[in-house]
Amino acid sequence: MKENVSQSSEAVFVVVPAYNEGAVIHSTLQPLIDSSYSVVVVDDGSHDNTWSVLTALPVYAVRHPCNLGQGAALQTGMTFALRQKAEIIVHFDADGQHQVKDIESLIQPLRNGECDVVFGSRFLRQTDKQAVPFLRRLILRGAVMVNRLMVGVWQSDAYNGFRALSREAVEKIDLRENGYAHASEILSQIRRLKLIYVERPTTILYSEYSKAKGLSNWSAFNILIDMLLGRVFR
Amino acid sequence: MRAIQIILIVGLLTLVTMYFRRFQSRALDHLSVLGLGVAGAVMVAVPDWTTSLANLVGVGRGADLLSYFGLVSLAFICLLLYAKVRSLESQLTRLARAEAIEHAHLPPSASQASE
Repeated sequence: MKENVSQSSEAVFVVVPAYNEGAVIHSTLQPLIDSSYSVVVVDDGSHDNTWSVLTALPVYAVRHPCNLGQGAALQTGMTFALRQKAEIIVHFDADGQHQVKDIESLIQPLRNGECDVVFGSRFLRQTDKQAVPFLRRLILRGAVMVNRLMVGVWQSDAYNGFRALSREAVEKIDLRENGYAHASEILSQIRRLKLIYVERPTTILYSEYSKAKGLSNWSAFNILIDMLLGRVFR
Repeated sequence: MRAIQIILIVGLLTLVTMYFRRFQSRALDHLSVLGLGVAGAVMVAVPDWTTSLANLVGVGRGADLLSYFGLVSLAFICLLLYAKVRSLESQLTRLARAEAIEHAHLPPSASQASE
């Protein structure tokens, strides 16, 4: 942890993994660009016009030659951001479910030097919680318990893709889970590296697009299998 | 000798030969593949030996014993291949990452700064 780091907005790098998000990527990125954060978009081998939209925008854009998964895309974005001298790295979903206005409160604990990692959570405020569809809430509850049992970290929202990490934390973390199991992998690495983390409330917007594009409720099962396989084949 | 015995023995020996022609691997691998091929051929040629071996470990027929062993080895081979796939996947990821970062598109402000 670094004491009282006061970074400018440009040293805050927002990493956005995108796979076939051509339809919405511009509207997701515009508020980020307007707020003068540095934006790194990782096109994870999209087959649509995502890349051509990106290259027309004032953002850093990198492209995987083939589709590797969200975990791989985040790691690529983080590696790239470190090279661009990022001081704070924020994970942000491309489908528009996260709010740009939440970023400031998310990175505040890092700026104050209180911790190494901040997780967004949709279960800290009653209003955010009620926005989550019932079945999804149930599954996420289960995921929280799985993380508690398998990783040993308690967290109110296991699969929120909205996180902020200090440069020091990102230098140490190395995501090897290419798929969605990276969310649990981050937790286990945080625990192993003895990084300090806190949670901050964030609002998730469940638009029709993000619901259709995002994880289905069945994916929970696949993620669990990935986690177990990841244990065996290291 | 029955027709099926000839077919199986020829098949086994072909597999072993193909293995040696295709894969340049370590001596231990060569020995074990050779051993497996010869053992297989012997079991086909003299089925009574497999039956007595089966009786020894409490299995009725030699063919049953072989299928049990076969299934377990198949599962084992699947696991080995899966581990190999995972390691290939992580190599591919590193390669793709390096390539992606190498060819990054920079915003106008950053590209001016670096020029």
